[in-house]
Amino acid sequence: MSFVSVKIESAADAPVKLTRRALAKQRTRERVLAAARRLFSERGYEGATIRDIAQAAGMSTGAVFASFADKSELFDEILTADYEVIHAQMTQASRNAKTVDEALLGLFAIAYGFHVEQLPLLRASIAVSWTRSEAAERRARSDLKHIFRLLADALRRGVEQGQLKADIDAKLLAEMTFDVYLANYRRAVYDGWTVEALLARLSEQLKVILAGARA
Amino acid sequence: MGVRDEQKAATREKVLEAARDLFNDVGYEETTIRAIAERAGVSVGSVFTTFASKAEVLSHVMNHRLAELYAEFDRVLPYLRGSTADRLCSIFAIHYEFETRRVKLFLAHIAASYNPNNDPGVTPYGRNPRLSQMLLDVLEDGVRKGEVREDLDLPLIAETLKALYAWNYRLAATAGGDLPPGEMSAAMDRQIAMIAEGWRPR
Repeated sequence: MSFVSVKIESAADAPVKLTRRALAKQRTRERVLAAARRLFSERGYEGATIRDIAQAAGMSTGAVFASFADKSELFDEILTADYEVIHAQMTQASRNAKTVDEALLGLFAIAYGFHVEQLPLLRASIAVSWTRSEAAERRARSDLKHIFRLLADALRRGVEQGQLKADIDAKLLAEMTFDVYLANYRRAVYDGWTVEALLARLSEQLKVILAGARA
Repeated sequence: MGVRDEQKAATREKVLEAARDLFNDVGYEETTIRAIAERAGVSVGSVFTTFASKAEVLSHVMNHRLAELYAEFDRVLPYLRGSTADRLCSIFAIHYEFETRRVKLFLAHIAASYNPNNDPGVTPYGRNPRLSQMLLDVLEDGVRKGEVREDLDLPLIAETLKALYAWNYRLAATAGGDLPPGEMSAAMDRQIAMIAEGWRPR
């Protein structure tokens, strides 16, 4: 269940011959990430300290800091890894769809399915997003860029297929869609909504948002 | 009110005021109950006899502010003019204007609503029936005036608007809390215009 991304620098071009040291370092990272994922899920972002994480991973705080500059970098690495897991599926869901609504719902269905399974981590990630540092903000934005590209593609295909007007403000529509998608997680958090319930609601909201953009 | 109750109410006021300022200026996570007590000039113990937790303090600070904001609305609402979209834009602009005065406090409130907390004394962000009702009233009025189609799910539209309203604070968060309220209301205006495009009778 616990997925941990291992970022090996330029893995594509470098032959896979890691030195013993590099291997050890990589294992340390993995252990830290696995422990961090568990603690962030259990205690939230603020509730999990680097010291707790180090202890859970069975190492010193110094060893954690050798791999990660700070807690926020560690947290973002977990989120980015998760995002990498679902990005390909989101892309595919969107491309296989016949209509713009199907495409948007399809890609968000993947995201809801993934995140509702690990709601505590998602809660923590949304909580930090309101008060994070500039550096963390920049990192998060580069992940978001990929999602927004998917949304823009889905909307563009909607225009090409004659479902949406040619002169739509695609950027605005993408932002609005993403906002309501995110806002709906509150229903999962507070009211225990399932993925199906979230999608049904999102589908209705999409109708509200896209009504004026339909061709 | 007896002397004791008066004293208690005064302590409460002082604590809420100190907390409001510290949460906004220093940050919610960074502020300890001890710091709040110190700034309020009361003992740590007396903070704890009034509030169960820091989360509860934040919740009360925000309730207090909302009461202030809606008192302002009671005054302003009868004077709102213009189309349905215009009036919705004004309602949100007033909210942005108000929350921007202490935007970090507001961001902390939203953030806190995503943190695990089962404290019964805490009202999380988002439980705001006044705003929902205001939006519904304007939309229903729009239906009566023929500006909004009558076959639409108005509560759904109101809820969608509320979601957009809340997430526009991301702009303030991204700017590190330093953003003129006009930028958020401008974003909201565009979003309302987009949705209004779809609710028009055709």
